[in-house]
Order: sequence, then structure tokens, then C-alpha cells
Amino acid sequence: MGSLVQILVNGILLGSMYGIAAIGLSLIFGTMRIIFLAQGTMIVFFAYLTYWSFEKAGIDPYLSLFTVIPLAFVVGLGLFYLLFRKAAALEDKNVSLLLAVGLMYLIDNLILKIWGATPRGVNLSYSGAVLVIGDIRVPWLRFALLGLALASALVVYLFLKRTRVGTAVRAASEDMEATTLQGINSVWVCAISFAIGIALAGVAGVGMATVYSFDYQFGFIFAIKALVALALGGIGNVFGALAGGLLLGIIENLAAYYIGIAWIEVASYGVFMLVLIFLPQGLFGRRGLVKKV
Amino acid sequence: MLEVKELSVAYGDVRALWDVSLEVEEGSIVALVGANGAGKTTLLKAISGLLRPTSGRIVFEGEDLAQLNTKHRVDRGIVMVPEGRRLFQTLTVLENLRLGAYLPKARAVYDDSLERVFTLFPVLKDRMNGKAGLMSGGEQQMLAIGRAVMARPRLVMIDEASLGLSPILTRTIFDLIVALNQQDTTVLLVEQNIHMALKICNKAYVMKTGHMVLSGTGEELLANEDVRKAYVGERGSRL
Repeated sequence: MGSLVQILVNGILLGSMYGIAAIGLSLIFGTMRIIFLAQGTMIVFFAYLTYWSFEKAGIDPYLSLFTVIPLAFVVGLGLFYLLFRKAAALEDKNVSLLLAVGLMYLIDNLILKIWGATPRGVNLSYSGAVLVIGDIRVPWLRFALLGLALASALVVYLFLKRTRVGTAVRAASEDMEATTLQGINSVWVCAISFAIGIALAGVAGVGMATVYSFDYQFGFIFAIKALVALALGGIGNVFGALAGGLLLGIIENLAAYYIGIAWIEVASYGVFMLVLIFLPQGLFGRRGLVKKV
Repeated sequence: MLEVKELSVAYGDVRALWDVSLEVEEGSIVALVGANGAGKTTLLKAISGLLRPTSGRIVFEGEDLAQLNTKHRVDRGIVMVPEGRRLFQTLTVLENLRLGAYLPKARAVYDDSLERVFTLFPVLKDRMNGKAGLMSGGEQQMLAIGRAVMARPRLVMIDEASLGLSPILTRTIFDLIVALNQQDTTVLLVEQNIHMALKICNKAYVMKTGHMVLSGTGEELLANEDVRKAYVGERGSRL
């Protein structure tokens, strides 16, 4: 029993990362209708920045959240206006998708050039600190990840529900033309949701730096995992995306424990296929990645 | 107030409007009628800035609109209620109304506008916190018009207000459009329900396959043999 609880706890904590990434994907998909495949690479990029500021200047990763989040937001705005503004307006979404793929490989290789191929990680003085409750042992840093994920979900939720621009983002993800007809600058709405998506990649990047060892190739896998989480949770629901991430984390840990470590990826992509075929709306979403016919 | 001069619009290589001209006087109700595919919606979209014309001019209160995008046209008071209502279904009634008053000028008088909408459409007040998509067709049409009223329009363009509504509800909506017009809002109305539209309008235009073919007062067009045969007769059973 103790071990099952431990697996669930580990799964939830691993899934927090997927959840943060999935919320970002969901926001970008909502307004721009593209699967932003470079999301994982952006996360790795910000993980490297976090690592780098820790190594060079000794800045604690959690402290660097205060610089990484605004930086990521600005990077997001820049990328949108440079690359996606025109493409997002096109009927054909393949252009945006290809741009995302191109951007992914560009940044992958940029990271390789700057930081090399050796896996990196941040070793904090408190990395080993563990919370013990009965038989359950949870490293504090993983616990903090869950906190980051919950805080991100809450902030995005409040933004969407309580602010004027957030309401416009929700409107735009339903009907872009009708949003424009209200006198709302729909390009700006896309830009904002894209930038928030990238800011979330910043948050996930900081989280990643504290608990994982990562290298330049980690991004694509992570984007796909976030996509699986999103498919699980369904689009159009912030907490659904987070829950999808947590669920994916649990599934992976269960698979690792009961079937074997080597089966982790098989299990998560198997679930991905099953969800797309049988539950295209996702578990909690209004609308899935695929429209139910 | 609004002058459309020899406007042409094309979707790619397909021309949809051919040198269309139209004039809307301040304070009036102008009806735009014609069969499906005549180009009525295309004309409204060009006026609201969703479509760029290939030639011709649109002048609103003396200002050429060519360089203004939709946002700036809304800010000047040109507001469109699109066909099929196009409400934000998953948002609440109040959120829909709030989005209607998005621009600073409209936002400054938000409370006043809301009061006005709730006076025109009391049912919206009762449904304020419900999801827009859960309302009946008639209520949704009221919300669509209410959302436009929130923008403080000087000219409101309503595309197919009666589409999918029962005759009784259609009458209600038309009464409300007249009431709105009496509160100093100029109305440009695209309608399938030609008989009703011609009855309430001051002036009407008839379009056919991208051309403006006829214009006159509502009574004139109602009396016109061609119009009766082509449009009113065929739909007479609905009225």
C-alpha cells in the first residue's frame, strides 16, 4: 500500500511539469490553432538559462523565476511578431506548424552550440532535502514543482476569468472573427496568449533545471509529453490540462513499477493513441485536439 | 452618414461585388434585400473592415474608411451583428456584453449602456450569469443585438436578424430594432424576411448576384411588381 501511494505521489510530481507545459500548449492552440511543437525546446532553453545563471552568478533557481518569467514573456512576444503574426492569420495552419518545427530545431542547435551536448543539471544545497510522511518520501524540490504547477494554473485561470484581456482570449479561442467585430485587436490577443504560453515554458524551465538532468535533445520529447497531457485533459480548460499532466505522470510511474522502466514511453504513447481514438474530447475538456465526428 | 461608392470586392479570383453603391442617412433604417449569394453579407463585411475592397470607396461621416481596420471602424461607431449571431457560447451573457464595450470610449459609459440593454431586453438581465450558448434562439438574437448596443454604435448593421426565429419572435426582434432606431441609432438591415424588412425601413436596396439592381422606399419596393414576384411572393407563405 505504501508503495502504491509513493508511486501516485511520484507520478503527480513528475506530472506537474507536463501540466505546466500543457497549459501553455492549450493557450497557444486556443487562439492560434497550432500545436506549438517548440514548447519543449523553449522549456529546455529556459532550463539552460536557469542553470547558467546558477553556475555563473550563483542565483538560486527559484529566485531566477522573477527574471525568467518576464524574460520568457518578452521572448514570446518577440517570437510572435517576428515569426507567427502573418502565419497565424492564414487559413492554412501548416505554415505555423512548420515554423514551430523549424524554430524547435534552430533552438535545439543553438543550445548545442552554446552549452554543448553534456547533460546539465543544477545541484542545490537543498537538493537532497526530503519530506517524510510515514513511508512516503518526497524530495522537497519535487513538491515545489507541484506548487509551481498549481500556482501557474491558478494565475492563468484568474487571468482568463477575471481580466478583460483574458475574456477576449477566451472569446478569440471560440470565434476569432466575432472577436474582431467587437473592436478587439485579435493579433494582440494572439500575441498575448502566445507570450503567456512561452512564459509558462519559462516556469517549466526553472522547474526542470531543479529536478532533472537535461540536454539539448530533451525538448522534443517533452513537447510530445505535453501534447499527450493536453489530449488527456482536453483543450479549453486550464485545470483539465494540469490534470492531464498529473495523470500522465501517474500512468508513467505505474507503468514503470508494474511493467518495467522500459515500458514508460510505450504506456504514455499507447494512452495517447487510445485517448485520441476513444475520447477525442479529452477527459475534462470542452473540446479535444481532434473534433469528435 | 454612410456612403458606399462603386465598391468591388473579390474573394481571390472570384468577384463578389460589382461597383455597388449605397447610401445610409443618419437616423434611418435601410434594408438590404436579395436572394442568397447576392452579396449582402459581403457588403456588410467590407463596410466593417473584415474584407478589403478591390476598388471603390466607403465614406462614413465624411471620412474615407480605406485606411481604418475593424477596430477603428468600431471605435467610430460602425458595429456589425453578424449572421448566425456568433455569440461567445461558452461565455456568460454578461461577459458577452462586456466584450461589446471593449474599446475605451464604450467602456467609459459601460454602466449606462448596460442599463440601456437591460431596458431593451429585460430577459438578458435575468440570464446575466448564464452561458450564452444555453439560451433560446430568440434570446441569443437579443444578446447579439445587445452586444452591439454596448459598443455605442452610431450605425448598427444587422445581418439576418430573423434567421431561424419563429414568426412571433421575428416580430419581437423587428419591434426592438425599431425601438433601437428611435433611440438615435442608424440601422442597416440585411434580411431574408423581405416583407417585414420593407415595412419598417425608410429606404431599401435590392441586390442580385453582386450587383445593386433596385432601390427605393419600402412602400415603393413593396408595390414593385418584380420585387413582389421575385421575393415577397415566394416567401409570402411564411408571413
